[in-house]
Parts: sequence; C-alpha cells; structure tokens
Amino acid sequence: MVIMMDKNDTLDAKGLMCPMPIVKLAKKMKDLKVGEVLELIADDVGSKEDVPAWCKRTGNELVGQKDEGSVFYFYIKKVQ
Amino acid sequence: MVQKKFIMAVSEGTFDKGMMAMMMGNTAASMGIDTHIFFTFFGLNLLKKGKNPKMGGLYRLFTGMMVKKMKKIGIDSYQEQLEMARDLGVHLYACNTSMEMMGVKKEDLIDGITILGAAAFLDISADSDMQLFIG
Repeated sequence: MVIMMDKNDTLDAKGLMCPMPIVKLAKKMKDLKVGEVLELIADDVGSKEDVPAWCKRTGNELVGQKDEGSVFYFYIKKVQ
Repeated sequence: MVQKKFIMAVSEGTFDKGMMAMMMGNTAASMGIDTHIFFTFFGLNLLKKGKNPKMGGLYRLFTGMMVKKMKKIGIDSYQEQLEMARDLGVHLYACNTSMEMMGVKKEDLIDGITILGAAAFLDISADSDMQLFIG
C-alpha cells in the first residue's frame, strides 16, 4: 500500500485496546471535513484488521498504512 | 452504502456479559451500524442506575482486579461504556415482563431506555441484518 504522509489531524490511540481505537476514530472523523486525512496511531495488534474493516464499512478510504515496530500508522481519508 | 441493522438480546447481568454487549454495541454504532440491544431476565440489572456488575459465581471476587486490568489497557468501566452507548445512539430496551417479575421500576433504570415486550422487539428484529444473543 502507498504510504501517504499528508495529514490534516492526528489521533494517538497508543495504549488503547479494542474497541477504543475504533470508537475514538469514529468520533474524531466527525470533526474532519470531506477530503481531509486523519493519521491514526495505534499499538493494538487487532487494529491492523479493525481499522480497514471500519473504513470498508463506513465508506471512508484507507489511503496509507505503515508499521514502525509494534506501532501502526493508518491514514484515513474522509469520503463522506 | 446501505445501513446495516444489528440486534442483540442480553439475558445475563454479569460483568463479562455486560461488557461484551457494550463493546460490541459501541463498536457497531461507531461503524455506522444501527444498533439495538434488548435486556431481559438478569440482563435487566445492567440498565439499573449506578450499577457496577460483578463477574459470575466465584469469579465475583475478582471483578475489581478485572476492572483494573481493563482500565490499564484503556477500556472504560461498564458505566462509562453504557454512557458512551447512549451518546452513540445505541437503542437500549428493557423487557417489561422481566421488570415486573424482578420488581424493577422505570425510575430504577437509567434515562433513555425504552420499555417494550417481545412482540415489539421481534418487530425491530424482523428486518435486522445481524443478530447476537448474549446469555
């Protein structure tokens, strides 16, 4: 997947386990405008499956993803 | 995207069942899924004001330890999760027969609960896409 670093906002969800990163992500995305990108940082292993599933279900776009050791970065573009 | 509808029936009032219902419900609502939870039998206790449910059986003694452990990994308490469910627009229902049977009054329950019977909940369930029973 292409790593996209351009972001409008960051949500640090490190130290949080499922389902909190997703619940906080959903809340945070409400503050973004359509077309803006949120960087989500998480260290919950489950988030690697959960974040793409959330994007698929809500119709938002996962434009980038990278791992740095046990920390995961997701770049999510607000589509609607 | 067509919105999905998720219904859950909860018949037990222990900490683990309550937490599971809240975590699944709040995640579903965060995914834009229309979420409805029906509390019946002992599950009704989960809707009581200020209720901090305990684990079942002997594990009851370890509830505090479990709560602390969950706090450490960033999971909110049961009460906070319940509050979150209301904020996220999760529909919460109390079974009227269970209320009568267990002597629970409407004022014993937290605000924002709809009291209904089996037929009304089945009507809500009839066009649902996902169903889960926690008991």
